[in-house]
Amino acid sequence: MATALRTLFRFGPLIFAFGFLAPLIAQIIQAFEVTPPFGLGPLAVGLVLAGLLGLAAQVRGRWV
Amino acid sequence: MSNRDLSMLTPKELARIERDIARKHIGKFPWLSVTAGIGVFLCWLALWPLVFMDVIPVWAGFVAATVLAIIGYLPSHEAQHDIIARPGSRLRWLNEVVGHVSTVPLALPFDLARATHREHHLHTNHPELDPDYGSSAAGPLKAIWKAIQNIQPRSKGGHNAYSRTLLRLGRKDVLKGAALYRVTWFLTLFTMAWTGHAIEAAALWWLPHHVGYVYIQYYLSWAPHHPAKETARYRNTRSFRAALGNIGSLGMQYHVVHHLHPRIPFLRTPQAYWEMKPVLEAQGARVEDL
Repeated sequence: MATALRTLFRFGPLIFAFGFLAPLIAQIIQAFEVTPPFGLGPLAVGLVLAGLLGLAAQVRGRWV
Repeated sequence: MSNRDLSMLTPKELARIERDIARKHIGKFPWLSVTAGIGVFLCWLALWPLVFMDVIPVWAGFVAATVLAIIGYLPSHEAQHDIIARPGSRLRWLNEVVGHVSTVPLALPFDLARATHREHHLHTNHPELDPDYGSSAAGPLKAIWKAIQNIQPRSKGGHNAYSRTLLRLGRKDVLKGAALYRVTWFLTLFTMAWTGHAIEAAALWWLPHHVGYVYIQYYLSWAPHHPAKETARYRNTRSFRAALGNIGSLGMQYHVVHHLHPRIPFLRTPQAYWEMKPVLEAQGARVEDL
């Protein structure tokens, strides 16, 4: 249990990015009726942006 | 009190007067804190259907949830100090209920808060042993930035300092409980987000959690202990005049009294402060700003 929790928290930023930020970004895009570039759907944009943010936070250990 | 010449009294005699004043305020049942603690939780719960059914806009829900998350810490703080009911007493369950539910909007596990807050009282301003020492900063803007840094994944302060404290105390049970609490919170947010309610989850829980943590760190940790250089009983906490007033600062202007007598209920602290102030001055306490 403790090892599983430690592993979860070690990859916290990436997990949070895909678990929460990606759908959040997608739903914000939809709510504001923004058309994503390159024919991408809102969720694809959410996954890309959240993935980049999450990766940066994972490497740096901080979001800001 | 103001008519009495305190300069001739010994620290022991002064401490006795101080204790007599404190005793007048201790033991009163904090009805308002109990009501506020449960009320905060119920109001926060009510925000969910109100936002989901478009009775109130999501931004208003965010503002309300943030205010509730911040206010909710105070009844929990009363419970952390067993002010609502002591261990073993008839109403102990109420102390625990208020402690647990009032910090749900803040997503703060009560057991973690209680264990680490007691360490903060025992070792105030100690760089290694005070779990809140990480909030110390040179000025208000730096304190806000420090509070933001403390909620980052690999910060030295915040939850990571709390984890270190719990490990030092051998309280792996509390640490595990807090970790499970956090995982449950994240899973709830993820479930809401992937079922199409990410904006509501962000507005009513995720953002209030972060804004609340920063606000509470600023007014409960940084402001009353600034510059956090001294550890002596009468010097580790101060009274101060807050830019946002006593309500805006969550009553922390009189925090020095809380550190000296933690069992005085929150709402009686200002009165106790004004009654005690001449004694505190004679004891060399940091009460010059208020």
